[in-house]
Amino acid sequence: MASTEAIRSAEGRLRTAAPVVRVASVGKRYVRDGPPALCDVTFDVHEGDFLTVVGPSGCGKTTLLRVLSGLSRPSEGAVLLDGRPVLGPPAEVALVFQDYNRSLFPWLTVIRNVMFPLRRTRVSGGARVARAEAVLDDLGLRGVARNYPWQLSGGMAQRVAIARALVSRPRLLLLDEPFASVDALTREELQDVVLRVHGELAERRMTVVHVTHDIDEAVYLGDRVLILSSAPGRVVGSIDVDVPRPRDQTASRSSPRFLAVRNEIHEIIRRPQ
Amino acid sequence: MTVRLVKRVGRPVLGWVVFAAAVGIWEVLARSEGSFLVPAASAVAERAWHVWPTSEFLSNVEASLRRLAAGYAIGASVGVAVGVSMGSSRRVRQALEPLVELLRATPAIALVPALIVILGFGDRMRIAVIAFGVVFPVLVNSMDGVRAASPELHETASLLRMGRAERILRVDLPAALPSIFAGLRVAVSIGLVMVVVSEFVGGGDGLGHYILVERSQFNIPEMYAGILFLGLLGFVLNGVFVLVERRALSWHHGATGHGEH
Repeated sequence: MASTEAIRSAEGRLRTAAPVVRVASVGKRYVRDGPPALCDVTFDVHEGDFLTVVGPSGCGKTTLLRVLSGLSRPSEGAVLLDGRPVLGPPAEVALVFQDYNRSLFPWLTVIRNVMFPLRRTRVSGGARVARAEAVLDDLGLRGVARNYPWQLSGGMAQRVAIARALVSRPRLLLLDEPFASVDALTREELQDVVLRVHGELAERRMTVVHVTHDIDEAVYLGDRVLILSSAPGRVVGSIDVDVPRPRDQTASRSSPRFLAVRNEIHEIIRRPQ
Repeated sequence: MTVRLVKRVGRPVLGWVVFAAAVGIWEVLARSEGSFLVPAASAVAERAWHVWPTSEFLSNVEASLRRLAAGYAIGASVGVAVGVSMGSSRRVRQALEPLVELLRATPAIALVPALIVILGFGDRMRIAVIAFGVVFPVLVNSMDGVRAASPELHETASLLRMGRAERILRVDLPAALPSIFAGLRVAVSIGLVMVVVSEFVGGGDGLGHYILVERSQFNIPEMYAGILFLGLLGFVLNGVFVLVERRALSWHHGATGHGEH
């Protein structure tokens, strides 16, 4: 009896110690023998971590997310999710695109967009609505549930896209420059929404990989910042962000640690490769 | 205030003024000509008023509408089905494109003699002609609509683990709907043309047949009454379509700002 429990807890510990995502020597060429978009990228992401990936534009950040989400297959190496190779989009992964206008279904109302990922789950009809409504409430979208996406501002529409990603309770949330097409104030607001969601779901251990070209955003959001070089993208640095959580737009951003990490990343990016 | 009011009612009023002027010119010219081959607008209206409610005329209307409905239903469903599958699968597109391009370039009217040979003079030939005229605008618009959908929508579909059939039904089809509707609307007027053309041959009934018979009997005002009815029919069918479209595509008109006039 005691021994089975010991084994079980040992298993549990092993499982938490193993990375959720393991990227092993991933290379990607879109055209055979063409120029590589990614080159020998290797890193792990552990359960509950918030990893941000930063790099100059055209460095393969989006390619990296596409490979992580299973939308494209790596040309070399492999991506493992919980130890299993990713061969197509896994059910436990959700992705938020930069352009909410193109990824939300314009013919569905906000709540139907958000309910969509639940369509084939065992969640019953009524429970689906309840779950979608809970996520909408959480993201401040209660009032617009019956609206169509075009009736919303950019910031609200991106919240809907985030809500749709969260409703299926993903194990891994991928964010592809999700705040690049909204104004600066909305961007800060959405950054805090994402931080809050990640913090609240900490007990469910949602892991986040967030891609951005904005170094300050990367530092503000991440537990760790992965730095990619310009094309072909390779990992040129990985810096732990020891700025305490919960983070605050003014206090955290002006803390000496924040500035030190930010400057370090700047130097790595400017360093000739 | 008054200026804005004039501006707002100005446009429709202007349109009706031009319309009335055109009818007036017709009336004056026809009267001054004095030929029975060019009846005045008032004479045509008077004839229409008497002829339209007759059971003979209405049975012709009914025959034409029946053919239009049958041909349109066949042409539109084939057009949407083939167009959407060509839009969503490159292999289907590659397989069918040369055939479709060739058939599409063939004027439907030119097919009438061939279809008479194959199907005879009856309704089957007429419905086939109408369907042939209807199918291509619907097909091409459906295909283009699917292909114009953003790649992010397709990626969202695969991230949501949709299979091919589900993607076509729940993403490709609704995304293409505005374009499909545009094709369906154009096809209504083409369908009406094909109705009349197909009824010009082989006798029987229908509005095309009616116009031809009245002409051959020199009942010129009756002939114009038939033409006028076809014009009004096209106008009404188009209006019905605009209404249906506005309801079905409110999300699209809102998103593109075409809804508010």
